[in-house]
Amino acid sequence: MRRKTFIGHLFGTSVGLGFSAGGLLAGARVANAAVGGLPAAATHADSSPEWEKLRESLFQSRPVDTTPGTVQIIAPLRAAYGASVPVKIVSKLAQTPELYVKRIYLLVDKNPSPIAAVIDLTLEVGQADFETRLRVDEYSHVRVVAELSNGRLHTDSRYVKTSGGCSAPPNREALDLIGKTVLKLPEPATMNRPTTADVTVLHPNDTGFELNQITVMYIPAHFVRSIKVSYADRKVFDAELDFSLSENPTLRFNFVPHGGGQLKAEVEDSKDGHWVGTLAVG
Amino acid sequence: MHSLVTASCLAIGIAFTTIASALGIPAPYAAIVVQPSGLPARHEFDLTEALARARRENKRLYVYLGASDCPYCRKYEAFLEKNAVALVPKFAPQYIVVDLRSALTATAAQLFIRIRDKSLPYADFQRAIGDERARMLVYPSVWLLDADAKPLMQMPAGTGTFQTVDEQLEILRLEQ
Repeated sequence: MRRKTFIGHLFGTSVGLGFSAGGLLAGARVANAAVGGLPAAATHADSSPEWEKLRESLFQSRPVDTTPGTVQIIAPLRAAYGASVPVKIVSKLAQTPELYVKRIYLLVDKNPSPIAAVIDLTLEVGQADFETRLRVDEYSHVRVVAELSNGRLHTDSRYVKTSGGCSAPPNREALDLIGKTVLKLPEPATMNRPTTADVTVLHPNDTGFELNQITVMYIPAHFVRSIKVSYADRKVFDAELDFSLSENPTLRFNFVPHGGGQLKAEVEDSKDGHWVGTLAVG
Repeated sequence: MHSLVTASCLAIGIAFTTIASALGIPAPYAAIVVQPSGLPARHEFDLTEALARARRENKRLYVYLGASDCPYCRKYEAFLEKNAVALVPKFAPQYIVVDLRSALTATAAQLFIRIRDKSLPYADFQRAIGDERARMLVYPSVWLLDADAKPLMQMPAGTGTFQTVDEQLEILRLEQ
Protein backbone atom coordinates (compact mmCIF):
# COMPACT_ATOMS: atom_id res chain seq x y z
CA MET A 1 0.00 0.00 0.00
CA ARG A 2 1.35 3.43 -0.82
CA ARG A 3 2.10 5.47 2.25
CA LYS A 4 -0.27 8.37 1.56
CA THR A 5 -3.07 5.96 0.86
CA PHE A 6 -2.31 4.16 4.05
CA ILE A 7 -2.35 7.37 6.05
CA GLY A 8 -5.66 8.34 4.48
CA HIS A 9 -7.04 4.98 5.41
CA LEU A 10 -6.02 5.48 8.99
CA PHE A 11 -7.62 8.90 9.13
CA GLY A 12 -10.86 7.32 8.06
CA THR A 13 -10.74 4.90 10.94
CA SER A 14 -8.77 7.10 13.23
CA VAL A 15 -8.00 6.38 16.81
CA GLY A 16 -9.17 9.27 18.89
CA LEU A 17 -7.14 12.28 19.69
CA GLY A 18 -7.49 12.90 23.36
CA PHE A 19 -6.28 15.74 25.39
CA SER A 20 -2.85 15.82 26.85
CA ALA A 21 -1.08 15.03 30.04
CA GLY A 22 -3.56 16.01 32.70
CA GLY A 23 -3.13 19.71 33.11
CA LEU A 24 -4.17 23.21 32.27
CA LEU A 25 -2.06 25.87 30.70
CA ALA A 26 -1.46 28.70 33.08
CA GLY A 27 -3.18 31.85 32.00
CA ALA A 28 -4.54 30.35 28.78
CA ARG A 29 -7.60 28.80 30.38
CA VAL A 30 -7.43 26.03 27.85
CA ALA A 31 -7.22 22.37 28.68
CA ASN A 32 -3.96 20.77 27.69
CA ALA A 33 -4.46 17.40 29.11
CA ALA A 34 -6.06 14.05 29.16
CA VAL A 35 -8.01 12.58 31.95
CA GLY A 36 -5.62 10.15 33.52
CA GLY A 37 -5.91 6.58 34.55
CA LEU A 38 -5.40 5.10 31.10
CA PRO A 39 -4.31 1.47 30.87
CA ALA A 40 -0.88 0.99 32.32
CA ALA A 41 -0.42 -2.71 31.95
CA ALA A 42 1.32 -2.84 28.56
CA THR A 43 4.96 -3.81 28.45
CA HIS A 44 7.55 -2.40 26.10
CA ALA A 45 7.64 -5.55 23.98
CA ASP A 46 3.89 -5.96 23.55
CA SER A 47 2.14 -5.91 20.24
CA SER A 48 -0.99 -3.84 19.59
CA PRO A 49 -3.86 -4.04 17.11
CA GLU A 50 -2.49 -0.98 15.37
CA TRP A 51 0.95 -2.55 15.03
CA GLU A 52 -0.49 -5.75 13.62
CA LYS A 53 -2.31 -3.68 11.02
CA LEU A 54 0.76 -1.63 10.23
CA ARG A 55 2.95 -4.69 9.98
CA GLU A 56 0.63 -6.32 7.50
CA SER A 57 0.35 -3.15 5.41
CA LEU A 58 4.04 -2.36 5.36
CA PHE A 59 5.67 -5.78 5.40
CA GLN A 60 2.93 -8.23 4.44
CA SER A 61 3.91 -11.72 5.58
CA ARG A 62 7.63 -11.03 5.96
CA PRO A 63 8.96 -12.04 9.38
CA VAL A 64 9.91 -9.19 11.71
CA ASP A 65 12.59 -10.25 14.16
CA THR A 66 12.13 -8.99 17.72
CA THR A 67 15.36 -10.50 19.01
CA PRO A 68 17.46 -7.79 20.69
CA GLY A 69 20.86 -7.04 19.22
CA THR A 70 20.32 -5.44 15.82
CA VAL A 71 18.37 -2.26 16.46
CA GLN A 72 17.27 -0.49 19.63
CA ILE A 73 14.84 2.33 20.32
CA ILE A 74 15.32 4.52 23.38
CA ALA A 75 12.47 6.68 24.69
CA PRO A 76 11.37 7.73 28.17
CA LEU A 77 8.42 6.03 29.84
CA ARG A 78 7.04 9.52 30.44
CA ALA A 79 8.27 12.61 28.60
CA ALA A 80 8.01 16.19 29.76
CA TYR A 81 5.56 16.96 26.96
CA GLY A 82 3.63 14.62 24.69
CA ALA A 83 4.29 17.01 21.84
CA SER A 84 8.03 16.51 22.12
CA VAL A 85 9.06 13.00 23.11
CA PRO A 86 12.79 12.41 22.59
CA VAL A 87 13.49 9.21 20.68
CA LYS A 88 16.82 7.63 19.78
CA ILE A 89 17.37 4.80 17.33
CA VAL A 90 20.58 2.86 17.82
CA SER A 91 21.87 0.42 15.23
CA LYS A 92 24.08 -2.37 16.50
CA LEU A 93 25.23 -3.02 12.96
CA ALA A 94 28.10 -1.22 11.23
CA GLN A 95 27.21 0.00 7.74
CA THR A 96 29.34 -2.24 5.51
CA PRO A 97 28.81 -3.12 1.84
CA GLU A 98 28.24 -6.71 2.88
CA LEU A 99 25.38 -5.88 5.27
CA TYR A 100 23.88 -2.57 6.27
CA VAL A 101 20.67 -0.92 7.43
CA LYS A 102 18.92 0.04 4.24
CA ARG A 103 15.72 1.55 5.61
CA ILE A 104 14.36 2.60 8.98
CA TYR A 105 10.68 2.89 9.84
CA LEU A 106 9.75 4.92 12.91
CA LEU A 107 6.21 4.22 14.06
CA VAL A 108 3.83 5.46 16.76
CA ASP A 109 1.07 2.87 17.02
CA LYS A 110 -1.70 5.06 18.38
CA ASN A 111 -1.09 8.27 16.50
CA PRO A 112 -3.63 9.22 13.83
CA SER A 113 -0.76 9.07 11.37
CA PRO A 114 1.41 6.32 12.83
CA ILE A 115 4.24 6.32 10.28
CA ALA A 116 6.38 9.10 11.67
CA ALA A 117 9.35 8.53 9.38
CA VAL A 118 10.68 6.24 6.68
CA ILE A 119 14.39 6.79 6.17
CA ASP A 120 16.31 5.37 3.21
CA LEU A 121 19.94 5.03 4.15
CA THR A 122 23.21 4.59 2.32
CA LEU A 123 26.63 3.45 3.44
CA GLU A 124 27.50 7.15 3.73
CA VAL A 125 25.85 7.36 7.16
CA GLY A 126 28.58 5.12 8.55
CA GLN A 127 26.49 4.36 11.61
CA ALA A 128 22.69 4.14 11.26
CA ASP A 129 21.76 5.96 14.47
CA PHE A 130 19.09 8.66 14.51
CA GLU A 131 17.57 10.95 17.10
CA THR A 132 14.45 13.03 16.83
CA ARG A 133 11.42 14.24 18.78
CA LEU A 134 7.94 12.88 18.27
CA ARG A 135 4.39 13.83 19.03
CA VAL A 136 2.78 10.97 20.90
CA ASP A 137 -0.94 11.47 21.20
CA GLU A 138 -1.82 8.92 23.84
CA TYR A 139 -0.34 5.90 25.61
CA SER A 140 1.36 4.09 22.77
CA HIS A 141 4.17 1.90 21.65
CA VAL A 142 6.87 3.67 19.68
CA ARG A 143 8.60 1.27 17.32
CA VAL A 144 11.54 1.11 15.01
CA VAL A 145 11.82 -1.40 12.20
CA ALA A 146 15.20 -1.70 10.51
CA GLU A 147 15.26 -3.27 7.07
CA LEU A 148 18.69 -4.68 6.27
CA SER A 149 20.31 -4.89 2.86
CA ASN A 150 19.69 -8.64 2.91
CA GLY A 151 15.98 -7.98 3.23
CA ARG A 152 15.62 -9.03 6.85
CA LEU A 153 13.52 -6.94 9.23
CA HIS A 154 14.40 -6.25 12.86
CA THR A 155 12.32 -4.32 15.35
CA ASP A 156 12.35 -2.88 18.84
CA SER A 157 9.71 -0.97 20.78
CA ARG A 158 9.09 1.14 23.86
CA TYR A 159 5.82 1.89 25.58
CA VAL A 160 5.43 5.61 26.15
CA LYS A 161 2.95 7.09 28.58
CA THR A 162 1.82 10.44 27.39
CA SER A 163 -1.04 11.92 25.50
CA GLY A 164 -2.24 14.92 23.61
CA GLY A 165 0.84 15.73 21.57
CA CYS A 166 -1.29 16.39 18.53
CA SER A 167 -3.58 18.74 20.34
CA ALA A 168 -1.01 20.59 22.38
CA PRO A 169 -1.22 24.36 21.98
CA PRO A 170 0.82 25.54 19.01
CA ASN A 171 3.85 27.72 19.42
CA ARG A 172 3.87 30.47 16.82
CA GLU A 173 6.69 32.87 17.39
CA ALA A 174 8.58 33.05 14.09
CA LEU A 175 6.29 32.33 11.17
CA ASP A 176 8.50 34.33 8.83
CA LEU A 177 11.27 31.82 9.41
CA ILE A 178 9.28 28.77 8.29
CA GLY A 179 11.49 26.48 6.28
CA LYS A 180 14.80 27.83 7.49
CA THR A 181 17.02 24.76 7.50
CA VAL A 182 19.99 24.65 9.80
CA LEU A 183 22.77 22.05 9.79
CA LYS A 184 25.16 21.78 12.71
CA LEU A 185 27.96 19.53 13.84
CA PRO A 186 27.93 19.07 17.64
CA GLU A 187 31.61 18.04 17.41
CA PRO A 188 34.22 18.76 14.75
CA ALA A 189 34.15 16.42 11.75
CA THR A 190 36.43 13.39 11.71
CA MET A 191 37.53 12.35 8.24
CA ASN A 192 36.61 8.83 7.16
CA ARG A 193 34.69 8.18 10.37
CA PRO A 194 31.03 8.61 11.25
CA THR A 195 30.50 12.23 12.21
CA THR A 196 27.36 13.34 14.01
CA ALA A 197 25.25 16.14 12.55
CA ASP A 198 21.91 17.79 13.26
CA VAL A 199 19.45 19.09 10.71
CA THR A 200 16.65 21.29 12.01
CA VAL A 201 13.86 22.79 9.96
CA LEU A 202 12.08 25.73 11.56
CA HIS A 203 8.53 24.73 10.86
CA PRO A 204 5.30 24.46 12.90
CA ASN A 205 4.71 20.94 11.53
CA ASP A 206 1.02 21.51 12.03
CA THR A 207 -1.00 18.37 12.51
CA GLY A 208 -4.36 19.81 11.51
CA PHE A 209 -5.59 19.06 15.03
CA GLU A 210 -4.18 22.14 16.71
CA LEU A 211 -6.51 24.83 17.88
CA ASN A 212 -5.73 28.47 17.30
CA GLN A 213 -6.61 29.76 20.73
CA ILE A 214 -7.45 33.22 19.41
CA THR A 215 -9.63 32.31 16.42
CA VAL A 216 -10.77 29.00 17.96
CA MET A 217 -10.32 27.50 14.48
CA TYR A 218 -8.23 24.47 13.69
CA ILE A 219 -4.95 25.22 12.01
CA PRO A 220 -4.71 23.32 8.70
CA ALA A 221 -2.15 20.55 8.44
CA HIS A 222 1.19 21.88 7.23
CA PHE A 223 4.22 19.77 7.86
CA VAL A 224 7.65 18.80 6.58
CA ARG A 225 7.20 15.90 4.22
CA SER A 226 10.79 15.08 3.35
CA ILE A 227 14.40 15.85 4.20
CA LYS A 228 17.09 14.66 1.80
CA VAL A 229 20.65 14.89 3.04
CA SER A 230 23.77 14.60 0.93
CA TYR A 231 27.45 15.18 1.45
CA ALA A 232 29.74 16.23 -1.38
CA ASP A 233 26.89 15.37 -3.76
CA ARG A 234 26.62 11.82 -2.43
CA LYS A 235 23.33 10.79 -0.87
CA VAL A 236 23.50 10.18 2.85
CA PHE A 237 19.80 9.51 3.45
CA ASP A 238 16.31 10.45 2.31
CA ALA A 239 13.68 10.77 5.02
CA GLU A 240 9.97 10.77 4.31
CA LEU A 241 8.32 12.39 7.30
CA ASP A 242 4.99 13.23 8.82
CA PHE A 243 3.43 15.46 11.45
CA SER A 244 4.17 12.90 14.11
CA LEU A 245 7.52 14.66 14.26
CA SER A 246 7.45 17.57 16.68
CA GLU A 247 7.44 21.16 15.53
CA ASN A 248 10.79 22.34 14.21
CA PRO A 249 11.61 18.80 13.05
CA THR A 250 15.11 17.79 13.90
CA LEU A 251 17.12 14.73 12.95
CA ARG A 252 20.46 13.86 14.48
CA PHE A 253 22.33 11.52 12.16
CA ASN A 254 25.80 10.44 11.10
CA PHE A 255 27.72 10.85 7.88
CA VAL A 256 31.23 9.91 6.82
CA PRO A 257 33.24 12.77 5.31
CA HIS A 258 36.01 11.50 3.04
CA GLY A 259 37.35 15.00 2.50
CA GLY A 260 36.14 18.57 2.51
CA GLY A 261 32.68 19.10 1.10
CA GLN A 262 29.25 20.52 1.54
CA LEU A 263 26.65 18.92 3.77
CA LYS A 264 23.30 19.69 2.19
CA ALA A 265 19.69 19.19 3.31
CA GLU A 266 16.84 19.60 0.84
CA VAL A 267 13.47 20.05 2.50
CA GLU A 268 9.96 19.82 1.13
CA ASP A 269 6.72 20.40 3.02
CA SER A 270 3.09 19.51 2.50
CA LYS A 271 2.33 22.84 0.82
CA ASP A 272 5.11 22.37 -1.73
CA GLY A 273 7.51 24.59 0.11
CA HIS A 274 11.15 23.87 -0.78
CA TRP A 275 14.19 24.91 1.20
CA VAL A 276 17.85 24.06 1.26
CA GLY A 277 20.33 24.24 4.08
CA THR A 278 24.05 23.80 3.67
CA LEU A 279 27.13 23.54 5.81
CA ALA A 280 30.74 23.54 4.64
CA VAL A 281 32.73 20.74 6.28
CA GLY A 282 36.48 20.25 6.36
CA MET B 1 -13.85 11.04 13.72
CA HIS B 2 -13.48 11.45 17.40
CA SER B 3 -13.74 14.85 18.91
CA LEU B 4 -10.54 16.75 18.47
CA VAL B 5 -11.66 19.76 20.39
CA THR B 6 -9.46 20.99 23.15
CA ALA B 7 -12.02 21.36 25.89
CA SER B 8 -12.63 24.59 27.63
CA CYS B 9 -11.88 24.99 31.26
CA LEU B 10 -15.47 25.84 31.97
CA ALA B 11 -16.92 22.71 30.44
CA ILE B 12 -14.53 20.42 32.23
CA GLY B 13 -14.90 22.37 35.41
CA ILE B 14 -18.61 21.67 35.48
CA ALA B 15 -18.00 17.98 35.02
CA PHE B 16 -15.39 17.76 37.72
CA THR B 17 -17.21 19.65 40.43
CA THR B 18 -19.07 16.47 41.16
CA ILE B 19 -15.82 14.58 41.59
CA ALA B 20 -14.24 16.66 44.29
CA SER B 21 -14.92 19.90 45.97
CA ALA B 22 -11.92 19.92 48.30
CA LEU B 23 -8.93 22.06 47.45
CA GLY B 24 -5.34 20.95 47.59
CA ILE B 25 -3.63 17.73 48.58
CA PRO B 26 -5.91 15.69 50.88
CA ALA B 27 -5.21 15.79 54.61
CA PRO B 28 -4.00 12.18 55.00
CA TYR B 29 -0.86 13.08 53.04
CA ALA B 30 0.10 15.64 55.71
CA ALA B 31 1.33 18.05 53.08
CA ILE B 32 3.19 21.22 53.84
CA VAL B 33 0.89 23.86 52.38
CA VAL B 34 2.70 26.81 50.83
CA GLN B 35 0.66 29.87 49.97
CA PRO B 36 2.02 32.40 47.49
CA SER B 37 3.52 35.68 48.60
CA GLY B 38 3.96 38.88 46.62
CA LEU B 39 0.39 38.95 45.33
CA PRO B 40 -1.01 40.21 43.08
CA ALA B 41 2.02 41.02 40.95
CA ARG B 42 3.72 37.72 41.58
CA HIS B 43 2.99 34.33 43.02
CA GLU B 44 6.14 33.35 44.87
CA PHE B 45 6.43 29.96 46.56
CA ASP B 46 9.20 29.42 49.05
CA LEU B 47 10.62 25.89 49.24
CA THR B 48 13.31 26.74 51.77
CA GLU B 49 11.55 25.32 54.84
CA ALA B 50 10.44 22.17 53.06
CA LEU B 51 13.95 21.49 51.82
CA ALA B 52 15.36 22.02 55.30
CA ARG B 53 12.87 19.53 56.69
CA ALA B 54 13.72 17.04 53.94
CA ARG B 55 17.35 17.31 54.95
CA ARG B 56 16.56 16.82 58.63
CA GLU B 57 14.34 13.81 57.99
CA ASN B 58 16.44 12.37 55.18
CA LYS B 59 13.49 12.41 52.82
CA ARG B 60 12.60 13.57 49.34
CA LEU B 61 10.12 16.25 48.36
CA TYR B 62 6.99 15.56 46.33
CA VAL B 63 6.17 19.10 45.24
CA TYR B 64 2.69 19.58 43.84
CA LEU B 65 1.71 22.79 42.08
CA GLY B 66 -2.05 23.11 41.91
CA ALA B 67 -4.39 25.93 41.02
CA SER B 68 -7.53 26.90 42.85
CA ASP B 69 -9.51 27.08 39.61
CA CYS B 70 -8.03 24.08 37.80
CA PRO B 71 -10.37 21.12 37.30
CA TYR B 72 -7.51 18.76 36.45
CA CYS B 73 -6.02 19.60 39.83
CA ARG B 74 -9.29 18.63 41.53
CA LYS B 75 -9.25 15.42 39.53
CA TYR B 76 -5.77 14.48 40.74
CA GLU B 77 -6.54 15.50 44.31
CA ALA B 78 -9.70 13.39 44.21
CA PHE B 79 -7.63 10.45 42.98
CA LEU B 80 -5.22 10.91 45.89
CA GLU B 81 -8.08 11.15 48.34
CA LYS B 82 -9.85 8.07 47.02
CA ASN B 83 -6.67 6.01 47.19
CA ALA B 84 -5.16 7.44 50.36
CA VAL B 85 -5.25 4.11 52.20
CA ALA B 86 -3.11 2.51 49.50
CA LEU B 87 -0.89 5.49 48.74
CA VAL B 88 -0.14 7.30 52.01
CA PRO B 89 1.94 4.37 53.36
CA LYS B 90 3.99 4.55 50.16
CA PHE B 91 4.44 8.31 50.28
CA ALA B 92 5.11 8.77 53.96
CA PRO B 93 8.36 6.83 54.48
CA GLN B 94 10.15 8.50 51.59
CA TYR B 95 8.44 11.74 50.68
CA ILE B 96 7.39 14.98 52.24
CA VAL B 97 4.49 16.29 50.19
CA VAL B 98 4.51 20.01 49.48
CA ASP B 99 1.34 21.65 48.23
CA LEU B 100 1.91 24.89 46.34
CA ARG B 101 -1.43 26.66 46.00
CA SER B 102 -1.57 28.80 42.92
CA ALA B 103 -4.19 29.97 40.42
CA LEU B 104 -4.51 29.65 36.66
CA THR B 105 -4.06 33.37 36.34
CA ALA B 106 -0.49 32.98 37.58
CA THR B 107 1.44 32.75 34.34
CA ALA B 108 4.96 31.44 33.96
CA ALA B 109 6.31 34.97 34.20
CA GLN B 110 4.44 35.65 37.44
CA LEU B 111 5.14 32.38 39.19
CA PHE B 112 8.37 32.39 41.20
CA ILE B 113 10.08 29.65 43.18
CA ARG B 114 12.27 30.74 46.05
CA ILE B 115 15.01 28.70 47.70
CA ARG B 116 16.73 30.62 50.46
CA ASP B 117 17.79 33.99 49.04
CA LYS B 118 17.29 33.09 45.39
CA SER B 119 13.94 33.53 43.71
CA LEU B 120 13.49 32.58 40.05
CA PRO B 121 10.56 32.84 37.67
CA TYR B 122 9.13 29.48 36.59
CA ALA B 123 11.06 29.02 33.34
CA ASP B 124 14.37 30.11 34.85
CA PHE B 125 13.81 27.83 37.83
CA GLN B 126 13.14 24.91 35.51
CA ARG B 127 16.25 25.63 33.48
CA ALA B 128 18.30 26.03 36.63
CA ILE B 129 17.39 22.55 37.84
CA GLY B 130 17.60 20.98 34.38
CA ASP B 131 13.87 20.31 34.03
CA GLU B 132 12.64 20.10 30.43
CA ARG B 133 9.31 21.66 31.32
CA ALA B 134 10.64 25.19 31.07
CA ARG B 135 8.75 25.96 27.91
CA MET B 136 5.22 25.79 29.22
CA LEU B 137 3.64 26.03 32.66
CA VAL B 138 0.96 23.40 33.05
CA TYR B 139 -1.33 22.91 36.04
CA PRO B 140 -1.03 20.65 37.92
CA SER B 141 2.69 19.96 37.95
CA VAL B 142 4.74 17.71 40.19
CA TRP B 143 8.45 17.79 40.97
CA LEU B 144 10.34 15.05 42.78
CA LEU B 145 13.28 16.75 44.45
CA ASP B 146 16.03 15.67 46.76
CA ALA B 147 16.92 17.78 49.78
CA ASP B 148 19.21 19.91 47.59
CA ALA B 149 16.35 20.68 45.17
CA LYS B 150 17.84 18.40 42.55
CA PRO B 151 15.21 16.60 40.44
CA LEU B 152 15.14 12.85 40.99
CA MET B 153 13.76 12.28 37.51
CA GLN B 154 12.19 14.16 34.64
CA MET B 155 8.47 14.46 35.30
CA PRO B 156 5.78 14.91 32.68
CA ALA B 157 3.66 18.02 32.37
CA GLY B 158 0.38 17.40 34.15
CA THR B 159 -0.58 14.40 36.23
CA GLY B 160 -2.70 12.49 33.74
CA THR B 161 -0.17 9.70 33.34
CA PHE B 162 -0.16 8.76 37.01
CA GLN B 163 -3.74 8.66 38.12
CA THR B 164 -3.96 4.97 38.82
CA VAL B 165 -2.46 3.50 41.98
CA ASP B 166 0.01 1.42 39.97
CA GLU B 167 1.16 4.42 38.00
CA GLN B 168 1.43 6.64 41.07
CA LEU B 169 3.63 3.96 42.61
CA GLU B 170 5.72 3.89 39.42
CA ILE B 171 6.36 7.57 39.96
CA LEU B 172 7.27 7.10 43.61
CA ARG B 173 9.69 4.35 42.59
CA LEU B 174 11.22 6.74 40.04
CA GLU B 175 10.58 4.37 37.13
CA GLN B 176 11.56 5.91 33.81
